[in-house]
Amino acid sequence: MTETTQATSRPSTTPPDPVGPASRRLDPWRFLGRYGALIVLLVLVVAVSIAAPDTFPTRSNLVNVLNQSALTAVIAMGLTFPLVAGEFDLSVGYTASLCGVIAAELLVHGYPLALAFAVAMVAGAFVGLVNGLVVTRLGVNALVATLGVGTIVVGMNYLIASGLPVTVPDPTTFINLTLGKALGLPYPIYVMAGTGVLLWVLLNRTVSGQSMQAVGGNAVAARLSGIRVDRVRVLVFVVAGTAAAVTGVLLASRTGSASVNGADGYLLSAFAACFFGSAVLRDGQFHIIGTLVGVVTVSVGFNAIALIGLGVYYQYLFQGLLLILGVGVSTVARRRAVG
Amino acid sequence: MSSVRALAGDRPAGPSQEAGPLLEVRGLSKHYGGTQALDGVDLTLQRGQVQALVGANGAGKSTLVKVLAGLERADAGSVLVDGAPATIDSPQDATALGLSFIHQELHLVPKFTAVQNMALGYGQGSRLGFLDRRAVRARAVEVMGRLQADFPLDREVERLTVSERWMVSLGRSLMRDARLIAMDEPTASFTDAEVHRLFALIHELAAQQVGVLYISHRLDEVIDIADEITVLRNGRLVGSWGRGHIDRDRLTTEIVGAEVEKLTAMPATTATGHDVVLTLRGVERPPRVRGVDLELRRGEILGIAGLVGSGRTELARVVFGADRPTAGTMQLGGAAYAPKGPHEAIRRGVALVPEERRSQGLLLQESIVFNISMATLDRNRSSRHPLLSPRKARTAARDAVERLRITSHSVAQSTGDLSGGNQQKVVVGRYLRTAPSVLILDEPTVGVDVGARGEIYRIIKGLAEAGTGVLMISSDFDELAICGRVAVMREGRVTHVIDAAHATKEHLTQLCYSLEGTG
Repeated sequence: MTETTQATSRPSTTPPDPVGPASRRLDPWRFLGRYGALIVLLVLVVAVSIAAPDTFPTRSNLVNVLNQSALTAVIAMGLTFPLVAGEFDLSVGYTASLCGVIAAELLVHGYPLALAFAVAMVAGAFVGLVNGLVVTRLGVNALVATLGVGTIVVGMNYLIASGLPVTVPDPTTFINLTLGKALGLPYPIYVMAGTGVLLWVLLNRTVSGQSMQAVGGNAVAARLSGIRVDRVRVLVFVVAGTAAAVTGVLLASRTGSASVNGADGYLLSAFAACFFGSAVLRDGQFHIIGTLVGVVTVSVGFNAIALIGLGVYYQYLFQGLLLILGVGVSTVARRRAVG
Repeated sequence: MSSVRALAGDRPAGPSQEAGPLLEVRGLSKHYGGTQALDGVDLTLQRGQVQALVGANGAGKSTLVKVLAGLERADAGSVLVDGAPATIDSPQDATALGLSFIHQELHLVPKFTAVQNMALGYGQGSRLGFLDRRAVRARAVEVMGRLQADFPLDREVERLTVSERWMVSLGRSLMRDARLIAMDEPTASFTDAEVHRLFALIHELAAQQVGVLYISHRLDEVIDIADEITVLRNGRLVGSWGRGHIDRDRLTTEIVGAEVEKLTAMPATTATGHDVVLTLRGVERPPRVRGVDLELRRGEILGIAGLVGSGRTELARVVFGADRPTAGTMQLGGAAYAPKGPHEAIRRGVALVPEERRSQGLLLQESIVFNISMATLDRNRSSRHPLLSPRKARTAARDAVERLRITSHSVAQSTGDLSGGNQQKVVVGRYLRTAPSVLILDEPTVGVDVGARGEIYRIIKGLAEAGTGVLMISSDFDELAICGRVAVMREGRVTHVIDAAHATKEHLTQLCYSLEGTG
């Protein structure tokens, strides 16, 4: 066994260029993984536009879809933060309900709307703080911690409201919060946009936000990079709690009355939106724009179901299917793309 | 290991001996995205042959192994077993062909005993899927007996030493009548004695007509054990050399594709740079750190040698604030130093490049930009502006890529796609941006190919010349040649600090084992 001929027959003078043009080649699987969810939204919009050309693709219906997205969008974008940092928050729905009740209760007692809204947000932030401290100080798994804190929140809610809806006696200004319009658009759309911009900047353009992403990516590496992991963890729960409060107050303002479990259902739709959104543009990472796309996709679907005149139960079928398809396809695609 | 008994076991007379070679690989190609990981590779392995597969990280060794193991499918080329074309679409296919793989990570279940681990997946497809536990156990005991394993087979794997775990993996392969065993960096954490033992086993396997594919960065060992050495570079076959036809220097050149600069020691900085930057006095953190005294000078590279478990990594973590000392004092630049965490250590100018680059260093999903910036997010914004500037982050990453010669498509590339050496450079780049006055490196070149290794040494030397005090933990005694002084740790204490000029491999080994060297 002496030196073989390959040594000479394969000249080593032309090493493959690691930065060659081949690397720019578009991998169809990677494309599907990144843009699949967006394509679903696009196809949905086109299909419904064809199916209901008179009612769906109109300005008023677009405003309607966005308006219906707003409340879910705000709470879901907040929930994105714990998910980014690799945590879970099961308490956001209950927190939203509590904060709606707190705001309504303050209005009943004659406090001004601004103050009621602010106190509700502080309460939401406080619930988040408690979540964060239980997770970091006691070391309780986030699923368990937020389930426990969430249950306590439900109890406190009943304590405050005695289990009955809190109805504001003179609700005009309160209701105006969601029904009022500026430049032809309902206020909730502005709240959604404003929250979106604020949270996007927080996540992508601040030291704290980048630290959250680092902790979610690899907590050990983050700590060894000098990131104060526990602080970051507490902060993500505070953001989620605060956003939940906004959704809770807006929900109560729709009818001028806050029920003790009114916003509980937002938990599941928020989670669904976040997970669907993790398949948008990124390889399975949670991010604000993805979450927004997730919320809007669901809203478009619900809107279409209503316009076409299908039963409400189709909404559930649609949402479940969307979640599984969106996440499933992108997961498969990612596996194929990486090889 | 006196008796050459049938290690490969009582296999039924398999495919005839006169058929083609045990394994033949023809024109194998595989690409990932835009990277050509394998490019028309040929390879032949005879029965009873020990063939070494060497190459830099990213040369294609792992891809080749993955294709053979049925974990990846090749784009082109064929694999022949006993001269007949073989289809390997799954690990089960590979096992059925008698191909067995011992990966670096071993893939054992820590809570299971040695026997339980060996039994995992064994005899699948037996009647009703029920295992005859007694028969499996008997088989495991028999195989381990042939390997002369001298540890209890009913001990949980997590309580076994690294080499014992490796033996369990080998036993697992032999239980499945492996005819070809591919071993990936088997000796990475072995002691010399364990390496000798492994080599004896390999010789016996070969004597039993088992083919061994031996993958390693340790060139001396490769030259020692292999009948034939095959070199891959950039996914292509460079060549194969029979025993005795290639020496270490030539082999290194073939792997790198260029001449490698020889390691030269930094002059010990005893003479001039006398200011001490870091002082440790009686630093303790039981059980591993038991009273360490040490001085690190400005601009010196101080090596820390010692056996695995001597407390080196644990000491590094204490200095970096990742763990708190229970006793003792530290001084940094003449001032008291008791960091509350890595964040404070970094602020004070101490940085640690951790041992486990994948689990402790990198965010594999994130870009080079993100990974470089992680420890210095504050520097990505101007003092008057509250928001981070992505442009600053990118510029910093580009600077690091250029300065550290990181090979990548772009700074937006995920670090998970980079080779080991480039990954390590990214981690180094992150901590360099903290502008440390003390840089600790824990095994900086483990799993890094020869070429990148040389560059990492160049970087370390450059830092020291610029005045940084460098603490370099290393188990590779050759590598300690770049140090001015070497501190030897044993059982949680620094027992000796010697001038690297006097630190021969033998002398250091003696000191690590506490055999007081007289030479």
